[in-house]
This record gives sequence, structure tokens and C-alpha cells, in this order.
Amino acid sequence: QGLKPLVPTESPAPIFVTSKPSHLPAAEAFLGKNKVPDLQKVFQRSDGLPVHLKRGVPDRLLYRTTMALTIGGTIYCLVALYIASQPKNK
Amino acid sequence: MAHQAHSYHMVDPSPWPIFGAAAALLTTSGLTMWFHYNAPYLLIMGLLSTALVMFQWWRDIVRESTFQGHHTPTVQKGLRYGMVLFITSEAFFFLGFFWAFFHSSLAPTPELGGQWPPVGIKPLNPMDVPLLNTAILLASGVTVTWAHHSIMEANRKQAIQALTLTVLLGFYFTALQAMEYYEAPFSIADSVYGSTFFVATGFHGLHVIIGSTFLFVCLLRLIKYHFTPKHHFGFEAAAWYWHFVDVVWLFLYMTIYWWGS
Repeated sequence: QGLKPLVPTESPAPIFVTSKPSHLPAAEAFLGKNKVPDLQKVFQRSDGLPVHLKRGVPDRLLYRTTMALTIGGTIYCLVALYIASQPKNK
Repeated sequence: MAHQAHSYHMVDPSPWPIFGAAAALLTTSGLTMWFHYNAPYLLIMGLLSTALVMFQWWRDIVRESTFQGHHTPTVQKGLRYGMVLFITSEAFFFLGFFWAFFHSSLAPTPELGGQWPPVGIKPLNPMDVPLLNTAILLASGVTVTWAHHSIMEANRKQAIQALTLTVLLGFYFTALQAMEYYEAPFSIADSVYGSTFFVATGFHGLHVIIGSTFLFVCLLRLIKYHFTPKHHFGFEAAAWYWHFVDVVWLFLYMTIYWWGS
């Protein structure tokens, strides 16, 4: 897993209005401040976790819900198809 | 730890492809159970799991690119090819429905009264709401281009304004089309006219909703500083898709709405 610089060479520059020189401090950016560098640190931690579980608890919750729904649903589907394939007793 | 000696992205093992396939199974069998046995549960599970898989899969792609830096120029080139091929396949999809329309309308059968529009069908006035919808989509094409240039020039405020306007125009189109559908004097069951009209415009409307959603996600990412002036392929892909949706509408308008009235 190369090409994972801790400080990325292409770090997204905070995109401010640049039409005229601004004296606003960086923290007062338009519509929220840039949290991407912090998130980059979180997702580049060497903890061996795959990307879909990298954030810990919320990721695990969502993953398990999806798995329950799909696997449970597949079983329900097979049962329903089995029942539907029974001949109608007139 | 060994580092890769190439610029491609070897992804982490992921459950989303197989969960997505299962979701497709649930959705299709769910449709069957709903149509034939009036039981909607399987379909609901299918749609829910499809939505969950889509959210998590695309979330992971954003993580891999913006937060982990895996989208090198080589990877981006592959994504560009992918998006172009996908849009091309969608163009062929619509081509089929246009074929069906021309098949029925160029040589109207005696059952239709030998004319097009068929006897008894009162088509929508193309100079009414459909013309407004054309103007809306054309305008949204301009605003999305404005947004793109603003991103490339690192002009955050204008980029957000332009993309917001684009999304709003998309929603406006959908709302107007929904009203048109409700008020239309003919239904999908009204001969092959109704079939071709509602299937072609219906699939187009679905693509407008998909495109608007894609643009809206880009708007959220734009606000969160995910895009750089040099690297914003997610936005470009959304813009390509949006222009495609606009072009399909122009063909629909000229053929079904105008020529066909």
C-alpha cells in the first residue's frame, strides 16, 4: 500500500474567495473550516483496518446492519421462492 | 512493509460488491413477490440494502481518494474511461426507447386511426411547460459549467453558489415534470402513444433524479473542501452525466414532444 504520504503532496488548499486580498484569518472560512487534513490523518493510521471499517464503531454498525439485511433477506428470499414454487392445491 | 512499484490502486478487501449483488437479488425477487402476491417486504429489504451498499461503497471511494491519496493520475484516467463508457451505455439504453417511438409513430397502424398522435390522444402543448423545462435544463448546463470554472479558479463562494443553483434547477425540473405527469390527459395505458411517452420520459426523469443526487453529493463535498483546483474528478463525472441528461431531454423534446404532437 504505497503512495500513502502522511502529509500528502497534494494537500487540498483551503478554497477561499481569492478575488481580492483578504485579511480574514483562516478559521473564518466561508461555510465551515477545512477538516480534510485531520481526516487524512485518521484514515492513514497504520492500524491494519480496511477502509470500510476505518472509523471504528459507526462503520461497524452500518456494516453489520447491511450484512444482516442482505444475508437475512437472501434467506427470506429463498424461503419465499420455495413456497411460491409449490403447486397450488385446488 | 513493501511499497508498490506502480501507480495503480490495489483496493482493500471490501464486502460491498457481494452485498450489492445480494441487494439486487432481493430487489428483483421482491418485485416478483409484490406483483404476484401483494407482499412488499422483500422489495423494501432490497431497496434498503441497495441504498446502504451504495452509500457505503461511494463513501469508501471518497475515503480512498480524498483521505488516503490513492487516486493518482493513472487511477483517475481509468475512472475517466469508466465514466465515459458508462454514459455511452446509457446512451444506447435511451436509443432503444427512441427506436420504439419511431417504429410506432412513423407508420401508425389502423388501430391508432392511421395517424400520429393516435385518434383520441390530446398531446401536451410543447410550447407550454415542456419548453420551460428545456430552458431550465439548458440553464443548469450553464450553471454547472460556471461551477466548474469557479472550482478551477479556486473561487469557493462562487463555486458553491453555482453548484447550488444547478441542483435547485434540477429539482425544479423534476417538480414540474411530476406535475405534468399528474395533469396529463392521457396515461401509460393509452395505446402505444402512452407507452412510448411515459417510458421514455419516465426513464429520463429517473436519470434527472440520479444526476441531481450526484450533483448534490458533489455540493456537500465542495463545501467540505474535498476538491482542489487541479483534482476534482467526482465533480467532473457529475457534470458529464448532467450534460448527458440535458442532451437526452433535448432529443425527447424535439422528437416526442414537438414532432410527435
